[in-house]
Amino acid sequence: MKINLMQIEKHCEVADGIRRLVLSGRLEAEPGQFVHVSVSETLDPLLRRPLSIHDCTEDKTVLLYRVCGRGTDLLSGKKPGEVLDVLGPLGNGFAVADSEEAVLVAGGIGIAPLFFLARILWRAGKKVHFFAGAKNSLELYLPEEIGKVATSVVLATDDGTAGHRGLVTEPASIALEETDAPVYCCGPPPMMREVVRLSARFKRDVFVSLEAQMACGVGACQGCVTAMRANGIDYSRICTDGPVFRGEDVFL
Amino acid sequence: MKPDLSVKIGGMTLLNPVMPASGCFGYGEEYAHYFDLAVLGAIIVKGTTASPCPGNPPPRLAETAAGLLNAIGLQNPGAASAREKISSLAKYGVPVIVNVAGHSVEDYCEVVRAMEKDLAVAAFELNISCPNVSAGGMAFGTEPGLVERLVQKIRLLTKKTLIVKLSPNVTDIVKIARAAEAGGADALSLINTLLGMAIDVRTRRPVLANLTGGLSGPAVKPVALRMVWQVTSAVNVPVIGLGGISCAQDATEFLLAGASAVAVGTANFNNPLICPQIIDGISAYLSDNSFSSLGQIIGLAKENKTEAGGECGCGKK
Repeated sequence: MKINLMQIEKHCEVADGIRRLVLSGRLEAEPGQFVHVSVSETLDPLLRRPLSIHDCTEDKTVLLYRVCGRGTDLLSGKKPGEVLDVLGPLGNGFAVADSEEAVLVAGGIGIAPLFFLARILWRAGKKVHFFAGAKNSLELYLPEEIGKVATSVVLATDDGTAGHRGLVTEPASIALEETDAPVYCCGPPPMMREVVRLSARFKRDVFVSLEAQMACGVGACQGCVTAMRANGIDYSRICTDGPVFRGEDVFL
Repeated sequence: MKPDLSVKIGGMTLLNPVMPASGCFGYGEEYAHYFDLAVLGAIIVKGTTASPCPGNPPPRLAETAAGLLNAIGLQNPGAASAREKISSLAKYGVPVIVNVAGHSVEDYCEVVRAMEKDLAVAAFELNISCPNVSAGGMAFGTEPGLVERLVQKIRLLTKKTLIVKLSPNVTDIVKIARAAEAGGADALSLINTLLGMAIDVRTRRPVLANLTGGLSGPAVKPVALRMVWQVTSAVNVPVIGLGGISCAQDATEFLLAGASAVAVGTANFNNPLICPQIIDGISAYLSDNSFSSLGQIIGLAKENKTEAGGECGCGKK
């Protein structure tokens, strides 16, 4: 039902260690959802890899991923024309709030789901304030079309080789204070923690997208959980209860 | 003509010998989106405890060479909530086997008492082999005396088919199998996961928050197959074989070794359609080799073993 065999149309490195994978065929996906991709036809590595959906168009599905281990390394060797076994779309995407503006904060590969979200928000007539951070300019990937779907784009790098020198949360905090827009965030946990803290301070709605190593990807195995701030001990599945959560609900 | 795949396990007659293994299929609802669960021989649902169990802190997974370590820690919603989920499986007309877990003897009893009258439950699978909880689980499954007494106690509480799931983390699994049979088990299932570990050299820490976890997947299949061979040679109750089954050929090996049925675990994660594919594959194997029923191949490798093989595959006769 949701197992798709999709042909690779384009596959290239777009920043240091970050690859963009364009697949033929449309997935009925929402921003924030992911696909679980088989990276090997053998039993080793055993598991699929969960990858963010970076964009969906009429006839294409775009994935963006960071090469960070055996599975993604194998995937990086796949060539145009090859067919991938793609399970999905899976999980719950970002809830689009009823507001005129939105603040999007991406750290590193966290840009993967947020570009898709920006495009959907922009199409819905909203003002999108986009913040993107990375270690340095070489690792910073910014899709060409970002200027078309965001009202403002602010960059930050740890070493100042592109945009603001420092953390992306620094310029983002000003926008959080100035607009009462909801905040959408994806990136390393320390960054998301700071965005959630700032959002609480300015009383903004905040949504975070989490990642985890997954086995089934469909909610059956309970392997990919995150601790929740509910009463007592409570773990929720990132694959099916998320990957998008309200920022205040999860321990980051 | 299609071969007869049906098989009897205790009081249950299964349409075919293939079922998803406990812990790898939730309560069925997730995979119902992918195929018609009615094609399954049975469904073994998630390990269920009397009260809701939060499970272990993450990380809970570590992928290994052709394998997977997990330390879920029996996260489940508890017997009351599980009963509702299980009742919604009744519409598929497939026997539902509840994997019963606990931290104490009374925990096991409580789950069985709560579900004994449920028509939607066909059998209990006593999980005395979970390696990821500090109390109970595997602690009950490694000492023959304890196993026999626990099984006896549960036997008195249920008329349903009683299956005991064995741990491979023992010196002699045959002794444990005999103890479970002596206690009144109608069937055995084996193996649960093998206790293992992974360390991240970058952080120089164990990968799993629980430090150790249970190894499953193709990596464990030869161990599981050997144990199924040994146990089916020693007991008279039917055995459900599991451990790394990833295709119809793997499943057929277990049947030839003596298992009456097979459970498929980790392979579901990679391929949600693996169970129906294995059912078709077993059927094709029987047809291609002119067998008319499943029973004809159960344990067949024992009859065919070569002189060099010996009784337990260890070279001794």
